[in-house]
Amino acid sequence: MNEGKTGVKAFFGAIGGFFKEFGEGVAKGDLFVKLSLIWMGAGYIRRKQFIKGILMTLFEAAVILFSVLFAPRYVSKFGTLGTVKQESVFNIVTMQNEFNDYDNSFLILLFSVFSFVVWAVALVVWLRNIVACYRLQKMAENGEHINTFREDLKSYVNEKFHITLLTLPILGVVFFTLIPLLILIAVAFTNYDQQHMPPASLFTWVGFQNFANLFSSGLTNTFGYAFGKILIWTLVWAVFATITTYLGGILMSMLINSKYTKLPRMWRTLFVVTIAVPQFVSLLLVRNFFANNGIMNTFCSAIGLTGWLRDIGLISTSTIPFLSAPGWAHVMIILINIWIGVPYQMLIATGVLMNIPTDQLESARIDGATPRQTFIHITMPYMLFVTGPALVTDFVKNINNFNVIYLLTQDIYTTTDQLMASSQAKETDLLITWLFNLTQSYYNYKMASAIGIIVFIICAVFTLIAFNRFLKGDREEAYR
Amino acid sequence: MKKLVALMMAATMAFSLAACGNSDGGGSTTPAGGADGNTQQAPIPAEKQNVSLRMWGAEEDQTMLQGMIDSFIAEYSDYANITVELGVESEADAKDDVLVDIGAAADVYAFASDQLNDLVAASALQSIDSMDQVLQTYAGKSVADVKSANAAGSVDAATLNGTLYAFPMSADNGYFLLYDSSVLSETDVQSWDSLLAAAGAANKKVGMVMASGWYNASFFYGAGFTTGLNEDGSTAMDWGGTSASGITGVQVVQGMLDITGNSAFLPVADGDTANQIASGSLCAIVSGTWDATAAASAWGDAYKATKLPTFTVNGKQVQQGSVAGFKLVAVNAQSTNAGWATLLADWITNEENQNIRFEKREIGPSNVNAAASDAVTSNIAIAALSEQSAYGVVQVVGGNYWDPTATFGEKIAQGQLARDNEAAIQEALDLLIAGVSQPTQ
Repeated sequence: MNEGKTGVKAFFGAIGGFFKEFGEGVAKGDLFVKLSLIWMGAGYIRRKQFIKGILMTLFEAAVILFSVLFAPRYVSKFGTLGTVKQESVFNIVTMQNEFNDYDNSFLILLFSVFSFVVWAVALVVWLRNIVACYRLQKMAENGEHINTFREDLKSYVNEKFHITLLTLPILGVVFFTLIPLLILIAVAFTNYDQQHMPPASLFTWVGFQNFANLFSSGLTNTFGYAFGKILIWTLVWAVFATITTYLGGILMSMLINSKYTKLPRMWRTLFVVTIAVPQFVSLLLVRNFFANNGIMNTFCSAIGLTGWLRDIGLISTSTIPFLSAPGWAHVMIILINIWIGVPYQMLIATGVLMNIPTDQLESARIDGATPRQTFIHITMPYMLFVTGPALVTDFVKNINNFNVIYLLTQDIYTTTDQLMASSQAKETDLLITWLFNLTQSYYNYKMASAIGIIVFIICAVFTLIAFNRFLKGDREEAYR
Repeated sequence: MKKLVALMMAATMAFSLAACGNSDGGGSTTPAGGADGNTQQAPIPAEKQNVSLRMWGAEEDQTMLQGMIDSFIAEYSDYANITVELGVESEADAKDDVLVDIGAAADVYAFASDQLNDLVAASALQSIDSMDQVLQTYAGKSVADVKSANAAGSVDAATLNGTLYAFPMSADNGYFLLYDSSVLSETDVQSWDSLLAAAGAANKKVGMVMASGWYNASFFYGAGFTTGLNEDGSTAMDWGGTSASGITGVQVVQGMLDITGNSAFLPVADGDTANQIASGSLCAIVSGTWDATAAASAWGDAYKATKLPTFTVNGKQVQQGSVAGFKLVAVNAQSTNAGWATLLADWITNEENQNIRFEKREIGPSNVNAAASDAVTSNIAIAALSEQSAYGVVQVVGGNYWDPTATFGEKIAQGQLARDNEAAIQEALDLLIAGVSQPTQ
């Protein structure tokens, strides 16, 4: 595993090795190792590790009880997600609604996925158990010392401390990330929406229907049309938002760090103030500034800019549609985002720029390089080398940059594209804000899940490509 | 959990059978309230139940609602030990929070009547018709009494497919014309033409929200067009054709374009109306009682309100319609204690409490008697609202109605449709209808 192989290869190598050892354990193990196949504690008890044996037995019993008493109620209905619709009868005597023994599609989905995860964990434990028992057998045959339970426990605070540390985070990831993620993926293949909302109604599997709707377009289904437009804008936005704030941040920090700049600390503080004010406040304020009846429009019409723009035919309305017409709004959003995003990048760039090897700058200066040449050939490559991974995460973050888009356009941007409106979308939506609108206002969970999966795929593919192709660890030599 | 429910069902069935056997037995006490001919009263258990309910109401109503809860608990203290937990939820957003998880929503909550269709589509509302017996036994009235006590429009708004789904609480959720009488005379506000001309002459503007299917449908409703609900939950809309009054949809749009194309017209964003009134550039606005305070402070004694003006369609004057909006109180269909929840919902919407609501918060009552009181009829906004209510329509629309109609209104507000290009207007109408009538994908 640690023989210089990397990534995917090593991963499958390790899995192969594990199964090889498992097969060997089953074939060559003694009676108790084989007995461990059905009684998980057997191997330990044979080696006098009684507490471990009992714990394993209890674990096995718990899994069996779970599988017999709890799981079948839900997993057996996983194929249909329930067939019995809720009905209630009002009982005048108790003054209560009495419900029939109805199926709740969402609970069926939830607990089925939960059961699958439990069984997957149990399977891994079961496989490892055989391997562990077989190792114990070999240790016993070789006359090696077999740990007591107390010694085992001690090892978890000493040489196996990493396992102790990682247990909680991994449990957290499984319960709070993995299971919700699996459910989100599953919902994309169901018809879970306002018409099919548990507990009152049932939803069921529809296969790839939602994805078909997302990629097709017609008069009564405009999702394909809206999806294409929103995807393009999402990518354009992510590219521009990332590049403008990145370059802006570097230039700003160079400007502030320049020896000609007076009071650099004051300027830096002033720019950082935009970070200190919550975006919720600052963006909503900016939105009101640039609204159709906002301060900016009053000002522009007072100085005659609005009239001039109308004269040259750039606008047809009586106000400048800063945030309410496509094109205008797209540019404004990117510009406003520069104001919001540059201070963050400035802080990062300041840190990095201070660590540029001075010998290189010195020699460049001695060789007679202009400041511009120094910037292009030394500063930027160094910045890109150090902040490359951060740039990739920034890009992914911008694909999902909910705050800026939502807060700037909510309530004041109404699309005039009727096909977009039919799919509850508008031109300035990112995939993520469209998804939000679909769930929050239309309870269209199935389409939102399908879009969520697409967003995930886009982000994952981009990140993998970026990290593998452009940011390999051996790029350091290339830079030097 | 389900076992428990089944067990309870078995137990209660046995109990109710026994109760049927000797309905005059010592177990029951005499029910409260009057009883007339066809009452179907149920036996009341001798033992006092412990009932806990949860209720949602608007933030600014909390103190008042707590008072109503206290009187409710006192009223029924003979039958049950009731505790009510009061939570904050604005009527405008009730649907959004209820539909996230119906089971976790409050037993009783108030909501704006335009949310009724969505709530019923998700089976979130308890049918009030099925609670007739409860009302007769404990409140001394029938569902028919509730219906006759409230204005017909409010009962219509709470009814879908012949079933009453909520108790009408107030009749103030509609729009009308608020204006500055120092700029506009009573004859000016009769029609959009004279209104805009007078406003333009005074260098003022007339505001209206165009980018909302709640407001812009008023022109179509006025011209005799309708909206309805298809079986798949989408909207049925006839705006593309010719209405019962012989007006075509294209002509209505042309009438709207005449209004929005006037320089004295100001399209206002939904939710921005109070700001625009306060800014001082308006002399009239199409809005509702929620802006009465803003209008009174901006225009002072000159603040007046009246029904919406007429607008010109194909050379004729047509009265602009409106959406008759009401606030309703619902019982959650997933509520366990649905009976007591129904009684609570009835209690906070009865005549007495509607009077209290008007006294404390100036909320226009839907109760016929309460609405007839002098105090109510002399309120400027509420009087205008009831004047407009003659032209009001209960808006029945499906889920995908709002975005396409908002966009349609925005196109008209921005003047993206040319008045003379009838083909383009017809095409926009057809797209609108295709959009709102598509089933949820």
